[in-house]
Amino acid sequence: MSENQTTVGKAIAGGLWTEIPVLRLMLGLCPTLAVTTGVKSALTMGLCVIFVLVCSNLAVSLMRNLLKPHLRIIMFTLAIAAFVTIADMYLRAFQPEMSEKLGAYIPLIIVNCIIICRAEACAAKNGLLVSAVDGAAMGVGFTIVLCFLASIREVLATGKIFGYPVMPDSFIPLAAMAMPVGAFVSLGLLLGAVNQLTGKKASTL
Amino acid sequence: MSTSKLRFFFQESWLLMVSAVIFGALLAATDAAWTPRIRQNEASKFGNRASSLLAGAVKFEPAAEKIAITLKGKPYEVDIRKGLDAAGNCVGWAFLCEASGFADKIKLVVAADAKFETLKGFAILACNETPGFGDKITIKNGFYQAQFQGAPAGKLTLVKIGDAKKIDNEIVAITGATVTSRAVVDALNAYIVPIKQQLKEKGLLQ
Repeated sequence: MSENQTTVGKAIAGGLWTEIPVLRLMLGLCPTLAVTTGVKSALTMGLCVIFVLVCSNLAVSLMRNLLKPHLRIIMFTLAIAAFVTIADMYLRAFQPEMSEKLGAYIPLIIVNCIIICRAEACAAKNGLLVSAVDGAAMGVGFTIVLCFLASIREVLATGKIFGYPVMPDSFIPLAAMAMPVGAFVSLGLLLGAVNQLTGKKASTL
Repeated sequence: MSTSKLRFFFQESWLLMVSAVIFGALLAATDAAWTPRIRQNEASKFGNRASSLLAGAVKFEPAAEKIAITLKGKPYEVDIRKGLDAAGNCVGWAFLCEASGFADKIKLVVAADAKFETLKGFAILACNETPGFGDKITIKNGFYQAQFQGAPAGKLTLVKIGDAKKIDNEIVAITGATVTSRAVVDALNAYIVPIKQQLKEKGLLQ
């Protein structure tokens, strides 16, 4: 097996922990900050990313032996854009309210670094099974982080989760948690906790 | 172009062309399958919002002519709809209106009475304004929306301090969300006056 190739087990472990996109690779931070005001939006964004990741990884893996180096990026973008458009149209047709709530962030999946990174790092070098599993694992890892952050922000900002009250009546909602500052603070704390857990330290000059 | 250059061109780009055709066909099929439903969603959403503003309206039909207005120096056509009751009488008018909010575009459905003299209010189609501040414009019958219900269908003025319960052409801004409050008032001013004038000119008002 070439050193560029990976296994199903490594792909799953990578997507769910060792290379979890938001917390370890620091990829996909824009949607992480933008759509985590509620768990429903975070879950929808996560599912769309899973769909796009799996489909684009499969498409790239299928054409991997035909790819010419100078056409590589344009081919990845073509595949990703097609699947993002399908996801966007699906939401507009079947989940119109969620589609409006997520606004431009669904079409912006096209420029989400996770997708093109997985096409380049995994799908362009591996078979269909590994590429599909890698896409699904990365997508699930991304979705878990999004939902975790969204649940913290939604509870603190509104006292509810999925629209159901979970805090006592005396709870005073923190409006700031629904704003960008809440996204930065909660993501920063989560990254700090993960670094603490994994023993990662800042490099010294 | 010589044969060798042409062959080189196809050798290098055939995959891109074939993929573009395949993905294009996939998108065309998706578009054909889902676009009718997307159009239906948009129409029903407009109908729901407009019905909530115009009591008694059971259907909305497009006005005989589209209304041309100028927004920020650019010509724009407004698709104004006539709200009809069960007997087919006009109970008011409704149209889509776009405002440039603090965070993003705000899409509103605005309704006026049959004579286009008073506003019936506005309802939100899309709004991504700041939670807790600008998004207060979305509160149905909240203090901001309520000020438009019965306001004269003419030029509106935004004020920071005033009596919000007094229904007139003065709209009291939401504290901490002046940009959003102004965006709605400015948009309504840009639409209402020329629409009213043209409806009168075209003899469409009762």
